[in-house]
Amino acid sequence: MENEEKVLNPQESLRIIRESIDLAKSSFRENGFHYLLWGWLVAGACLADYYLDAVMGYPKHYMVWLGMTVVGAPAAVLYEWRRDKKLAPISNPVRDWHGRVWMAFGISLLIVIALSVQARVSPIPFILVLVGFATFVSGSLLRFAPLVLGAMAMWTGAAICLALGYHEHLLVQGIATILGYLIPGYMLNTRRHV
Amino acid sequence: MFKSLDPILLSQLRLAIMSHLIVVREADFNALKDQTGATAGNLSVQISKLQEAGYIEVEKTYKNNYPLTVCKLSPRGIAAFEAFYNDLKTYFDQDFSIK
Repeated sequence: MENEEKVLNPQESLRIIRESIDLAKSSFRENGFHYLLWGWLVAGACLADYYLDAVMGYPKHYMVWLGMTVVGAPAAVLYEWRRDKKLAPISNPVRDWHGRVWMAFGISLLIVIALSVQARVSPIPFILVLVGFATFVSGSLLRFAPLVLGAMAMWTGAAICLALGYHEHLLVQGIATILGYLIPGYMLNTRRHV
Repeated sequence: MFKSLDPILLSQLRLAIMSHLIVVREADFNALKDQTGATAGNLSVQISKLQEAGYIEVEKTYKNNYPLTVCKLSPRGIAAFEAFYNDLKTYFDQDFSIK
């Protein structure tokens, strides 16, 4: 943009507004890191839990979820810390809201898991509802349709769980995670490099 | 009836800066340079003009011991951008919106 004093006509003005706004939006699109990280971890944990519990009958099958959290949480926090360091002190309203949505999801998740354990019911349908909700809001904030569709896959998975038992819930969650996290995550990643 | 457009925003680079800031609200100098593709000198001049018009606030600070210039859209700037956009609409027959 070397023509700093070039006077624009209305068509050019409109084009610049549209192009600049599109560019600004794309600049803070998520790169898919969290969706890929948690997508692989959750899908892997679902399959591992299913194998250990339903196939092998291993009593401490639930430890895979602890392992998933031990790997995923520090990786996610470290990634955000490094990104904050790079971006601070620049605020970004969409990113801030995105963070708040997933923070609310994390708190809700802990409560839902505790309640489900106490009530001795499978937490998976409830988790899928919560994940679907957060993914839907994220997809809407980022204006990224694959995430919105991914949220619908999560909700559909939750509804399907009504007709299935706990072990099958794990498989449904694994599939819903692939559809709702991994596919949109890879699409976000690809989009970033376009 | 066509409405006259704000001359401050009838500049390619100034309009690009304002359009960027209308989305992100604040951005540092390097981010604006990347987004607009402008040279540092040119960008600096146009930022000063927007600041003089009261459309943006410029804060000079430090990050990791390096100087950091942060540009923030002011309420006046938001009003000016919205007015510019509404005035721009009068030049077009068809209904349009920026999504």
